[in-house]
Amino acid sequence: MGLGAQVIPLPANNPIPEIERKFAASKPDAVVLGSTAQWILAETDDLGVPLIDIHAEPPAEAPPVVECDEDDLAFLLLTSGVTSDAKVAMLSHGNLAWAQKAIQARVGEGLQHDDVSLGVLPFSHIFGLNMVLFATLRVGGTVVMQSRFDADESLQLIKKHQITILSGAPPMWRRWLHAGDDDTVMSSLRHASSGAAALPLEVFHGIRDRFGIEVAEGYGLTETSPIITWSRGIEIKPSSVGQVIEGAQVILVDPDGTPVDRGDTGEVVVRSPGVFKGYLDSAELTDAVLTPDGWFWTGDVGVFDDDDYLYLVDRVKDLIIVSGFNVYPAEVENVLMEHPGVRGAVVTGVADVDTGEAVVAHVLGTATAEELATFARSNMSRYKCPVEYRFVDELPVAASGKLIRRELR
Amino acid sequence: MTSFQFETAPELPGADRIARVGLAAIRATVNRLWDIDVHGLEHIPADGPAIIAPNHLSFCDSVFIPAALPRRVWAIGKGEYLDDWKTKHIFPAMGMIPVDRSGGDAAKAALDTAARVLDGGHLFMIYPEGTRSRSTNLHKGRTGAARLAARCDAPIIPVGHVGTLAIQPPDQFTMKPGLPLTIKFGEPIRVEEFGDPDDPRTARTVTDALMFEIGKLSGQRYVNTYAGKDDTPDMPIPTKIAVPPGRAARAPNLVAPDSGEVIDLRKDSRGALAAD
Repeated sequence: MGLGAQVIPLPANNPIPEIERKFAASKPDAVVLGSTAQWILAETDDLGVPLIDIHAEPPAEAPPVVECDEDDLAFLLLTSGVTSDAKVAMLSHGNLAWAQKAIQARVGEGLQHDDVSLGVLPFSHIFGLNMVLFATLRVGGTVVMQSRFDADESLQLIKKHQITILSGAPPMWRRWLHAGDDDTVMSSLRHASSGAAALPLEVFHGIRDRFGIEVAEGYGLTETSPIITWSRGIEIKPSSVGQVIEGAQVILVDPDGTPVDRGDTGEVVVRSPGVFKGYLDSAELTDAVLTPDGWFWTGDVGVFDDDDYLYLVDRVKDLIIVSGFNVYPAEVENVLMEHPGVRGAVVTGVADVDTGEAVVAHVLGTATAEELATFARSNMSRYKCPVEYRFVDELPVAASGKLIRRELR
Repeated sequence: MTSFQFETAPELPGADRIARVGLAAIRATVNRLWDIDVHGLEHIPADGPAIIAPNHLSFCDSVFIPAALPRRVWAIGKGEYLDDWKTKHIFPAMGMIPVDRSGGDAAKAALDTAARVLDGGHLFMIYPEGTRSRSTNLHKGRTGAARLAARCDAPIIPVGHVGTLAIQPPDQFTMKPGLPLTIKFGEPIRVEEFGDPDDPRTARTVTDALMFEIGKLSGQRYVNTYAGKDDTPDMPIPTKIAVPPGRAARAPNLVAPDSGEVIDLRKDSRGALAAD
């Protein structure tokens, strides 16, 4: 970044073909390999771009540091890939700096120079990169690096380094909840945050009951650098992602752009200095989400309560429309999960001559289709009830904890 | 005509004595001029609060539905109705509580008024579509009824009716006598059956379920857009956000044919639907 170059952080543990695909999408001029990526050198010496080993002899004279403007691009980030094709989001220095400052703005609750963050979220992801690494370094704080997630090791690091800021994805929080036997291990924490996917209520309550801390959920996307809402610094309402961060504007709208009633659900549309500059080499993809006056359509459906706390419902793309009625897969999945014979459920849509679309459930568990049909009918409006049950051996779940529904479509 | 129990409510606006006489006169007139086919009265609780939630097609819905109910019902109306000679007597007699929509937080005032009615153990009527459907389709419901139900722990009674549009088409002052009219009251909907009443997501879930039930009763086609354009959110926000120029129309959400175990329940569920 000091060279004025644009950085594309990539996870070091991807298989070679995936790395090649990511290079093809982001077109780097050179690749710097850190210590966790040394294995790549052993596998191949030709990825079509110059490879620079970070352990190699440094040049005799350091290149000059280049001054950058706010609008200069700093990072090219591959979006997490829950949607179909990887997209490369262009983020400027100004985008990232605004988000780092925005989280400071919750008075008295911002990061301090003596804070110590655990760097366990991957820095190839915007949450770990900007909200943990850069935000902490910006105020002169310390980041303790954990290169691979291991719940027990995390707890040891928290204790050893008296970690004050802990940010994780829901699967990490679930593992921390059940790791180790020292219930006081998190007593040094000032703040605990979760993002990237919805934190299950039982995990929130479990962490609170065991460690005595409340995990503050936040919400954002790569394209928004990422912060849009956060529960840090305000009273935490379980299952809400908090209030809109200062400096950002959020409106919930219908598909034609009309704001919904207060208290009603709509697509989250945001404008902030953190909103990205577009997708690399794709005006078409950019035009699909960004308006000329700077409103970014997130593709997430949410609702505000009377205290301006945002609650997320589901992704617009996953919506199933049955006889004109919206069916959010997450709601149907949550109902099915209440059946004792269901360990996992993913809901998708299927074409239907009468209703346009209909609901299909992919189920992991021992319950029969007839049992589930009866259960669904007594717990949901009829148009939400699956018309088919498909029994599967496993369900596709991303590392962040998000279900990958497209794999079942 | 259904038997009728007049409830006194000195704590609410509108004089009981005038309402008793007015309502009796209206019920007698309606009874003489129209033969209303009423179904589902067993779903109206004999006492205690409930929200009456009908589809809305004609101005005269506000006459016929209260006249068909076995109990006195209240509703909110524009304060301007009291300035109009045509409505200043009949509306309060029908249970209208005027709300001044000119200043302050009118929506909150309306909701507080409705809560007073329900907390007093009475029936309260609200059109979930918010305004008359000019398209004759059943429109997306607004969440006020669901939020009111959560706040006051009251059931919502879906109501579907057919015939009022012919009796009094839009912009007509008179009601044509002798035309058929059917009013169906559905099974009560309880908020807690759909989720945590305190979770704001529950209101939309309940509202969609309510509209689904109203649609079954009225036979209307559902469209997922608000009726009318009179909504005034209380935030200083644009009236409309531009749709990104390259945003594609929504693709249908399809599943590829599957080779695994597939049990098709459509026939069963349709059969049950048809039997409803």
